[in-house]
Amino acid sequence: MSQLPPLVIKHPIEPDAEPAIRLTDVRLTYVTKDGGALEALPPTSLTIRAGEFTALVGPSGCGKTSLMRIVAGLTAATAGDVQVFGQPPKQAQRHKQLGLVFQDAALLAWRSVEDNVRLGLQLNPRQTHSSTEIDELLEIVGLSAFRRYRPAELSGGMQQRAALARALAIDPPLLLLDEPFAALDEITREQMRYELERLWSISHNPTEPPRSAVFVTHSVTEAVAIADRVLVMSPRPGRIIADIPITTPRPRRPEHEHSDRFMNDVANVRSALRAPTTPAVPLDAA
Amino acid sequence: MVSEPLREVESLPVGSVVASSRRMALSLPELRPLLQWIAPPLVALALVAIAVEVWVRVGDVSIWLMPRPSMVLENFFGEFGRYVSEGLRTLAVSLGGLALGTLAATLLAAGVAHSTLLERAILPVAIMVKVTPVVAVIPLLIVWLGYGWEPKITIAALITYFPVLINAIAGFRDVDPRMHDFFRSVDASTWEIFRHLRWPAAVPFLFAALKISVTLSLIGAVVAEFFAAGQGGLGGVIWVEQNNLRLEKVFAAVLMLTLIGITLSTAVVVAERLFSWRIDQSATST
Repeated sequence: MSQLPPLVIKHPIEPDAEPAIRLTDVRLTYVTKDGGALEALPPTSLTIRAGEFTALVGPSGCGKTSLMRIVAGLTAATAGDVQVFGQPPKQAQRHKQLGLVFQDAALLAWRSVEDNVRLGLQLNPRQTHSSTEIDELLEIVGLSAFRRYRPAELSGGMQQRAALARALAIDPPLLLLDEPFAALDEITREQMRYELERLWSISHNPTEPPRSAVFVTHSVTEAVAIADRVLVMSPRPGRIIADIPITTPRPRRPEHEHSDRFMNDVANVRSALRAPTTPAVPLDAA
Repeated sequence: MVSEPLREVESLPVGSVVASSRRMALSLPELRPLLQWIAPPLVALALVAIAVEVWVRVGDVSIWLMPRPSMVLENFFGEFGRYVSEGLRTLAVSLGGLALGTLAATLLAAGVAHSTLLERAILPVAIMVKVTPVVAVIPLLIVWLGYGWEPKITIAALITYFPVLINAIAGFRDVDPRMHDFFRSVDASTWEIFRHLRWPAAVPFLFAALKISVTLSLIGAVVAEFFAAGQGGLGGVIWVEQNNLRLEKVFAAVLMLTLIGITLSTAVVVAERLFSWRIDQSATST
């Protein structure tokens, strides 16, 4: 059926490979209507290794989404250097190295599930990456039976699975997930985090470094359940105030959420979130 | 007497039933709502016609003021060939103007949706043209373009372009920003974004505009024919026969215009069912 190499499960972090993301003193400042400057992101430096699943947690408006958009090349940083696989984000777009998933599924209402999933391959087709067979992908996300359905005919969870499949169709080495489960109910949400881990870890390219992911979320348990590393951001203007490694072995399972190690990690992230911000940064500034 | 034209009118909502079921076959349960929809207006029309017939006969109203409905029908079928051929000329002008106006407006809207400069340059001019009564410029157009089909089509186009322009601009811009982000993240070109995102998003808007424009184009064609009377078309017939005081012929021409108008409106509704991914029940107003 498919001449593609079999799916391989990979999740070791490769410290020697080219980092997925390297930010050096990246900042973002908006000019407000009255001519003032609004700091959306203070100077931030950050390295995310190949194969690393990084969760970004922090209060609303702290700049998580700004950071994500800068990495995706959708917003230009005001200053600093952004490298995605050793090149500017625009190049990463060109090489189809980015898989974006948003809070709302953002599917094309007039296309079937199948054609939505195909979209990333269809646009600007360049065979820089082997294209995962669409059938196989639909099978993996459990939408084979619904391939001809329109997005409006699917539940929220199924729509989000279609959006994940669309992002994965180009087999991108970096997944950028902006609160992908925020609009889902709690039960679906808890299922989806383990599905996401599975989708993230499988690839058709055994030779390439494992896939990296940046996962923006408001949910501490979700972050700890799925990530290798949780970055905690302070309230606006958000700085990265904690970098907490999560050592629960993979593949992760729901039972892990009851382990002492898990509880401990959650407690660590929670206390980092509660940590008082430096007095120099008033909470309601700007 | 009255049964003949009824059959004519009955042919119209067949399209809407085909459309609502998306099948070509008509079964009995489907025919019932059809009858429920078309029977009441037909009965109402028949009652009005009978009332007028009685009034004209009993009150001995002059034929120069009000022809008997039976005379109108007799003339309509007696000179059916003439009304059909003149009607086709009016229809051709109407459709020509609609095509020209829609095409020009859609192209302009595509430009405006992509460029603020174009928007600033074109929109005020478009509104100026729209607020100038078309009737006022018809003599000019006849001087410039002669008595042929050119000024008529131009007039029909002038009267139809505005709803299409405004709706198409709104449609091309009615794009989910997340979806736009996704397109950018895989390095889609401006053309690809237009072809796969903006254009399909605008289709329901275009149909909403067409519902308004299609009847406007018929008005434009008839008004243009008044000015070029003697050059044919139902507008020409009305003009000439009004001068001859043959009011039954004026009414017969109007009846033919009504039938053309109903056919055109139905055609747009059917086309919307076939080609639009979203069916707009309420047409957007100008």
